[in-house]
Amino acid sequence: MIKKALITGISGQDGSYLAEFLLSKGYVVHGIIRRASSFHTTRLDHIKFGSDEMKERLFLHYGDMTDSSNLNRVLEKVQPDEIYNLAAQSHVQISFEVPEYSAEVDALGVLRLLDAIRETRVKARFYQASSSELFGKVSESRQSERTPFYPRSPYAAAKLFGYWTVVNYREAYGLFACNGILFNHESPRRGENFITRKITLGIAQILAGKQDFITMGNMEARRDWGYAPEYVELMWKMLQAERPVDCVVGTGEQHSVREFTEAAFAYAGLDWRKYVKTDPRYLRPTEVDELCADPARANKELGWQPQVKFAELVRIMLDADIRALNLKPAGEGDALLRKLFPNRWWKID
Amino acid sequence: MITGVAGQDGAYLSALLLDKGYEVFGCDLSIGPRACWRLSYLGVYDKIDLLQADMADADALLKAVERSRPHEIYNLAAQSAPGASFQSPVEYGNITGLGFARLLEAVLKTDKQARIYQASTIEIFGYGKIKRLAADMPFHPVNPYAVAKLYAHWLGQMYREDFGLFICNGIMFNHESPLRSLNFVTRKITNAAARIKLGLEGELRLGNTDSKRDWGYAPEYVDAAWRMLQQAKPDDYIISTGQWHSVKEFVIKAFKVAGLDWQRYVKTDPDLLRPVDVPFAIGDYNKTRQVLGWQPCVKFDKLVEIMVNEDLARWQRHLKGETFPWDAISDA
Repeated sequence: MIKKALITGISGQDGSYLAEFLLSKGYVVHGIIRRASSFHTTRLDHIKFGSDEMKERLFLHYGDMTDSSNLNRVLEKVQPDEIYNLAAQSHVQISFEVPEYSAEVDALGVLRLLDAIRETRVKARFYQASSSELFGKVSESRQSERTPFYPRSPYAAAKLFGYWTVVNYREAYGLFACNGILFNHESPRRGENFITRKITLGIAQILAGKQDFITMGNMEARRDWGYAPEYVELMWKMLQAERPVDCVVGTGEQHSVREFTEAAFAYAGLDWRKYVKTDPRYLRPTEVDELCADPARANKELGWQPQVKFAELVRIMLDADIRALNLKPAGEGDALLRKLFPNRWWKID
Repeated sequence: MITGVAGQDGAYLSALLLDKGYEVFGCDLSIGPRACWRLSYLGVYDKIDLLQADMADADALLKAVERSRPHEIYNLAAQSAPGASFQSPVEYGNITGLGFARLLEAVLKTDKQARIYQASTIEIFGYGKIKRLAADMPFHPVNPYAVAKLYAHWLGQMYREDFGLFICNGIMFNHESPLRSLNFVTRKITNAAARIKLGLEGELRLGNTDSKRDWGYAPEYVDAAWRMLQQAKPDDYIISTGQWHSVKEFVIKAFKVAGLDWQRYVKTDPDLLRPVDVPFAIGDYNKTRQVLGWQPCVKFDKLVEIMVNEDLARWQRHLKGETFPWDAISDA
């Protein structure tokens, strides 16, 4: 039986990898994209314009998480078996500038979609992109599903609303709905204003002579960074489980922005101190100092073990960004990908 | 400035603040005399400055704050019936949750010295695994109303910590009065008891009568809200009576006060059951007593008497042909 999936936020990093993953598994994949005056679905271009037949199984619909009737209509039309709600205003710092909009999409959007599932009676399993930012001011050094939340930004508060809405609909209506509480996950497809990509792209530009330095904010913030393709596999696994369970997902290792900077520049053979400036405008009103996952449940119950950790991630991302500018990468990242993922399902970086 | 001024708490709070010499600005979605019957009932409708503002409208909220330049803001506005929130969950999220986000942004733009009271609620704790509820219990909202209130609660805490705003979350248990809306079970019961007593009604249909709550008296609760904003430092407080009773006990007492045998008139209706009901928790208001010097005087028995007697009096006045501000008659 051919399964149908609906992905909101399909044009983003996770959405594009997830689409590719599900297509490689034989799914028919539907995605919701917003109408904008310029095309922003470039992460899907290699599928849409590729030679693989999977492009015949990819369908994009216009829509918006702020539009209930649209969401209802898409659900009615598509009748998906699985729904992955990845759509969000996902930048923490920017959420301080657009707090209301962030809530419209990240909080109410979840509610609209779940209520649409209830209304249309579509028998779909639902995955919600929850976030480690929920933990905020952490009360434990490694955060698990039992760690209390403490949101520190409008983004985190909105995601908290979304998280509890999922729990509420699961308990009230028996929907198969679950939260993936994913820690930071990066890749060559990461948005350019997220710090890891900002760094690797910046280094590539510096090597190409197009940029002189990178400006950043708080270098001491510590995060648990993983590789996005491995994380989207976990999303799928959560929806194949026997029962819906909320799950923390991360590598279990923590590094600072400073460490990422040093490692990336060192791999590129440059002295980072010559190329990095800090600017207070990138600081946040409240910082989340540290996040580090305790992924025991994901490891044990879903058999998920990430292979790419900090050192590998730096190399993978930098090789990709350097290659994208037609320069020759050192190649350790590419070699790692060949070694760790001999059967990789993502055709491009 | 009070948002949700036309509601039960808004009306009592307006009267309280006017009494203390405040200039009161009140916002609500509808500010006409019918919608504001409670304000007329308390004789304060003409004494406050009414502003029309929809919590879904950030611009209206900003204008309301700019116009009133308040020292104190009480955010009481909400879609506030937890059971009904399953029917219109998005509206609940938008008004009860995001409304507070818009209000906070309006305050940031105008006067960061304004002190803000947020109407938080016991509902955000949901399953009370522990019987005595202290403010550090884990959260577990079980309906869209509670999710929205939890989001607002965290916004309040975050803006307090991030931006230094003086914000207090008042974690209130159920609080009732003769001004409570008819769709809340307490008033539904007392109004029905009065009508049955006067021969206007034959029966009362209810949902889960085993449901237990800690019910207090609204005028005392809004007093607690005011006290929070007078403190040197902002904090969150629990407001409760510390006692709980079941809906069935409320029915029995109410019908007794009305001089009726409840068993003859009360039926359960399965359509009125909720998908998930909140198991009860007992409120521990020790900190509120110690810090704010507040305690509840009107508890369960007195509360039921007040409400039944008031509803009886109203129906009697109505039967004599009197017209007065009231919600139980559609053209009052």
